Amino acid sequence: MSYLDWTVLVATLSFIVLYGFWKTRNVNSTESYILGDRALKWHTIGLSIMATQASAITFLSTPGQGFDDGMRFAQFYFGLPLAMIILCVFVLPIFYRLKVYTAYEYLEQRFDLKTRQFTAFLFLLGRGLAAGITIYAPAIIMSVILGWSLSLTILVLGVIVIAYTVFGGTTAVSQTQKQQMIIILSGLFVAFWVIINKLPPEVSFGDAVSVAGKMGKLNVVDFKFDLDNKYNMWSALFGGTFLFLSYFGTDQSQVQRYLSGKTLTESRLGLIFNGIFKVPMQFFVLFVGIMVFMFFQFTKPPVHFNPANVEILNSKPEYRDSFALVQQNFDEVFDLKKAKITSMIAAIDSEDETQIATVKKELNVLDRRDRIIRKDVEGLLKSYEVNYPSVSSIETRDTDYVFISFVTTYLPSGLVGLLLAVIFAAAMSSVASELSSLASCTTVDFYRRYFGEKYDDQHYLRAAKMFTLMWGMAALAFAAGASLFENLIEFVNIVGSLFYGTILGVFTVGFFIKAVRGNAIFWAAIIGELCVVSIFLMDYHGIISIAYLWLNLIGCGITIIVSLILQGFMQKDTLVR
Amino acid sequence: DDEQPPFLNSWNQIYAMVLIIHAVLIFLFYLFTEAHA
Repeated sequence: MSYLDWTVLVATLSFIVLYGFWKTRNVNSTESYILGDRALKWHTIGLSIMATQASAITFLSTPGQGFDDGMRFAQFYFGLPLAMIILCVFVLPIFYRLKVYTAYEYLEQRFDLKTRQFTAFLFLLGRGLAAGITIYAPAIIMSVILGWSLSLTILVLGVIVIAYTVFGGTTAVSQTQKQQMIIILSGLFVAFWVIINKLPPEVSFGDAVSVAGKMGKLNVVDFKFDLDNKYNMWSALFGGTFLFLSYFGTDQSQVQRYLSGKTLTESRLGLIFNGIFKVPMQFFVLFVGIMVFMFFQFTKPPVHFNPANVEILNSKPEYRDSFALVQQNFDEVFDLKKAKITSMIAAIDSEDETQIATVKKELNVLDRRDRIIRKDVEGLLKSYEVNYPSVSSIETRDTDYVFISFVTTYLPSGLVGLLLAVIFAAAMSSVASELSSLASCTTVDFYRRYFGEKYDDQHYLRAAKMFTLMWGMAALAFAAGASLFENLIEFVNIVGSLFYGTILGVFTVGFFIKAVRGNAIFWAAIIGELCVVSIFLMDYHGIISIAYLWLNLIGCGITIIVSLILQGFMQKDTLVR
Repeated sequence: DDEQPPFLNSWNQIYAMVLIIHAVLIFLFYLFTEAHA
């Protein structure tokens, strides 16, 4: 990090925060704090929705996933445009007609108070934990890369975002997200351009893409049906659509984004903007990862991308020697692979199909050896952990470090600062939405629902600010203590996704099945949730095997069917009496 | 509910347009995958 990088990083982040303060200096009512006076235009809504969904981990992990696993993750988003259309047709008009502040407010008007507060509670639980992780996950990586302590990184990230979110509420969130998305997209384009220019002069962009394809990295679409495969066309179109319906339709951190639209039309266009541009954006982020992969076919990469882990292995003599041996193997394979890629490019240029097929086979063998050697490093780290146990566990996978270590090692001075600002901006944009929605839900669905007319609007505005601050402090505390628990990130992601199907089931019944009333749906939701947790536990213990995207569909289905059965019984019961 | 969209004649036409764009995009991805397999 040079002085220029620090200047770019600090200036970019300061601009965003000051812009947020300036734009929200007139927020003076609960409606303007929670819904921004319903004044947002479609482009702000669209960018705000995208910025909320894309956290720092999106920009750290996704290129790493492209590097490691190719492009098939792009399919994960194929159901998103369908979900956007379904929401525009069925959900938005209802939310707008009822003028709700939160998605759960609708459930009381449709069912009863206990159904509203049960779903709001599930949201607060899942999203409240997730907010801590949204800060913690990128902070681990950034602290290693910047050489800061983990606590300091968490504090810097958290305090900035809490400051402008508490001050300006949802308007501050949306207005800063617009700037953050512009910085994020321009940063990524700059990084992509630099990578292309860093390829050796004799290797064209077309050559790099062709070789990546021959190495199996450009597998964007997979039509094979396989329940156990996370990313194929069918799990995306069915499982993915349901996941995005739940996320965008019932998660207050997203619902609040489009409820602050000026009109129904502006909100619909915002969602459609997201539906059209989200898939190309994810394709591009993955493609950046593929280009980093190709860059590292010509420039020797580290055998392991997390410098903190390498330091750990070099700290003990018995591991230092083993690691040196692995490094030596890795260097040999790298040289062999580089030679093969050169002959592959020659074969492609001369359109010699037999030669291409031969080299492709040899290249894939070498690539497999490369992977095994990388796994050996992970094995060493696991063995180290057994022999030298410490309080926090070692994250042995290094894919999250691939992109950021490329950035800090190979980007010119000034651009490193810009790309770090991208990661910070992405983290802040997601946390801000989460805190703002948690506070809105707490204020509207619990606090104001309980006290009602007893207090005036100014009291509830102060309460909403206080709840934003409290959720912010809770997220910071959770992030600071997170390193004491193993596999916490995975746990929180699972907890969040276990609730989605059931909540979607409740809303689906609300929108489409008029006969079902409050009691039936409340108990159906509890039964549905228990079923989802049981299926998850069976999968976890290896009794069955099912990709987690399908859990949303199952939770939603069970909730709907059980609510119909219960409603049938309840009506019979009433008739008998 | 039936607010006029700012372009095209109805919301259904806009939704159809989104689906067509998405289908074309997936088809292009398919061609991309096949071309580089």
